[in-house]
Amino acid sequence: MGSLEDVRRQRTRTFDTIAAVVLTVGIIGLLLEVLVGRYGLSWTYIASAWPIYLRGAWVTFYVTTVAYIVGMGIGFIIGWARAARVSVRKPGAQGAAVFGVKYTLRRMGDGYVAAIRGTPLFVQIVFVSSVLVIRFSSLDPNQLALIAGLVALTANTGGYQSEIFRAGIQTVHTGQVEAARAIGFSRWKAMRHVVLPQALRLVIPPLTNEYIGLLKASSLLLVIGIVELTEIGRREAFFQGKPFESFAIVTGLYLLITVPVSKIVEYIERRLRVPGLGSQQAPTTRV
Amino acid sequence: MATAEASVADVRGHPVVRRASLIRVIEAVIGASIFLVLLQILLNFSLLDPEFWRRYGGSFETGIGTTLRFVGIILPLSAVLGFFLGWLRISRFRTLSWPVAVYVDFFRGIPPIVIVIYASIFGAALLQVRFAGKDLAWNVAALALAFHSAAYQSEIFRAGFQSVPRGQIEAAQALGMRPTQTMYNVVLPQALRLSLPPLGNEFAVVIKDTSLLAAIGTLDLFGVSQDFIQAVFLQPGASVYWLLTMWTAVALVYFAMTTAVTQVLLFLERKFHVRGLEGVSV
Amino acid sequence: MIRVEDVHKYFGTLHVLRGITLDVSKGEALVIIGPSGSGKSTLLRCINLLVEPDAGRVFIDGVHVNRHDINREWVRQQVGMVFQSFNLFTHLTALENVMLGPIRVKGVSREQAEDKAKQLLARVGLAAKANAYPAELSGGQQQRVAIARALAMDPKAMLFDEPTSALDPEYIREVLDVMTALAREGMTMIVVTHEMGFASNVARRIVFMDGGVILEEGHPQEIFEHPKQERTRAFVSKILR
Repeated sequence: MGSLEDVRRQRTRTFDTIAAVVLTVGIIGLLLEVLVGRYGLSWTYIASAWPIYLRGAWVTFYVTTVAYIVGMGIGFIIGWARAARVSVRKPGAQGAAVFGVKYTLRRMGDGYVAAIRGTPLFVQIVFVSSVLVIRFSSLDPNQLALIAGLVALTANTGGYQSEIFRAGIQTVHTGQVEAARAIGFSRWKAMRHVVLPQALRLVIPPLTNEYIGLLKASSLLLVIGIVELTEIGRREAFFQGKPFESFAIVTGLYLLITVPVSKIVEYIERRLRVPGLGSQQAPTTRV
Repeated sequence: MATAEASVADVRGHPVVRRASLIRVIEAVIGASIFLVLLQILLNFSLLDPEFWRRYGGSFETGIGTTLRFVGIILPLSAVLGFFLGWLRISRFRTLSWPVAVYVDFFRGIPPIVIVIYASIFGAALLQVRFAGKDLAWNVAALALAFHSAAYQSEIFRAGFQSVPRGQIEAAQALGMRPTQTMYNVVLPQALRLSLPPLGNEFAVVIKDTSLLAAIGTLDLFGVSQDFIQAVFLQPGASVYWLLTMWTAVALVYFAMTTAVTQVLLFLERKFHVRGLEGVSV
Repeated sequence: MIRVEDVHKYFGTLHVLRGITLDVSKGEALVIIGPSGSGKSTLLRCINLLVEPDAGRVFIDGVHVNRHDINREWVRQQVGMVFQSFNLFTHLTALENVMLGPIRVKGVSREQAEDKAKQLLARVGLAAKANAYPAELSGGQQQRVAIARALAMDPKAMLFDEPTSALDPEYIREVLDVMTALAREGMTMIVVTHEMGFASNVARRIVFMDGGVILEEGHPQEIFEHPKQERTRAFVSKILR
């Protein structure tokens, strides 16, 4: 059973949906039309050249994954260190020394993260590369570039992941450790059995987003000559004179990974929403 | 960086809290200085090498100027576009919100450097008929960066709009306000305030992204520095350690710019902060 | 003053209001009670057109208001609403909250609106809190500001949607006192509430709603002590505990 209002609303909704699809497809079609019209679209090229792009994609994937995993270790340690509250000072010289060490380490962590977040990835990459060029000038330049790229990416994601871990741990921390200890857990046990399991849940969506972000950021390695996906695309566009095809393939490959994964993360986030737990999102790698 | 600001926002203008944030600043300056000194010792370079600065100084200034100019164009453009797109995104008409969603997914799904590279290729050629000039490629790429950031900013604004409790919109309607009045008097003041912190973050990213323009040859700060590398190895009397000096200096400039922008927005947020407005998570 | 004639409302396939007919005379304070889901809130929102009835007619002061060509904003100025969750504008002070409607909707000058707002806040006992923000006020204080805000529009009638249900017990009294005073001054009001004491004091009539229909109506004494319907009796016994 419905009403006149209801029926009218349904009809508007359907019309609205159709119009939306038409408009979206129309705009995309128009843009493609202009580009294809201007630059042409060679299917033979695409058919023959796609292995080259896949090789680039492999480099992208490989570099991203290595940096991500190592960066996760770094990020977790630093994030944990920065999440810990300033504990009560023990009296005496020993207490002051311990406090001094903790303070210095915490400030160093702060500085590291601030440096990573405050400077462009481009600069981080060439800086690391310069250091390696100076120190290890005997190395084969390709190897050197790869190592420099990996180090820079790792340092970069390490900084952002430390923020994610810190936010996750801090969101859970308040009061829970006290409650756990009241039951009888030691501080370590409380961490392991109470805080970390919850923090893990909070941390998975932003960490996944960070992987996607790193995947995109790896494109910047082309500045030191690493031949990843974007660099392949650029070379094919300029030296093979196939800008539209290379654009289509490169864009398509990136979107193929990023969009589905982002949608899955959004879906998981909505499902995993624990009432009572704040949604503390730390910023992820955006070059 | 968030913790000091939270305590400030809670207690407006309380003198004790002002002292705390001043301490943080002093800590940061001292820490940074120590760090820079140690870095120079460790890597055996000097930040203040006069010979280096004699040769590089001019490019340095030019580069900074170019970067600032691009930032000055891209930031306002992307903010306005992002705001408008965020508004469309929450429309109940799919005809308006779906195209925007596709736009956002596209621009957030590909690396910005891809956008820069292909925008310079396509844009320059497509528009050559109308606007000639060697800077065309750069400007088109900068425009493309604005579109890119607008996608992210639209999500920030969207979250801001959606954070305003629905009940207040109902209350405004119950008073007899028209939809535009409700938007202007109730939703906007709150949505904008809520959007400020994540916006500051995004602005910092825009500043860093301008370095990507160097990939197509733009003479922004990063670009001129890359050019200067040739000079390091070709000119007589050049030291390879100048690379470190240069990149450290460049990093410091970017750091100063991003810090300035985030601080300005945090200041604005503090100034307009009203208790009871919850934060936005993007 | 307010007349609801055989009003129906569907939410999807859910038949929420199944033919409600109700008359509220000028100066009358009507209380509506009933279990949750009975459609009480929806009924209120049909009166100020926050919700559009699917069938039936609504009259305010003789004017048929649920028409396509009606000016909704005008209707909402005739009838003020107070919500269960207060819904104060968090970015404005109490004074500004009360001033906003008159300035923006009625076009009153700033000075006039401010004077009126100060009077109203004094009337609800919150003159001292004029410059406080909602977050700095207790629940009871916020709700009283909400009442002042609705009154600032000079409505012909007031609708209260469970105004004290979200309040801590110690704050309920102060809000009910304001509402009682308002009723005594002759304001036409429809109040959805569970507060039986208030109902007995203020209402000439109580209406019991369940499952989208009016099951029974009568004097407070009748409804509370000698309910005719079984379901009325069951409900009343639960809340009169």
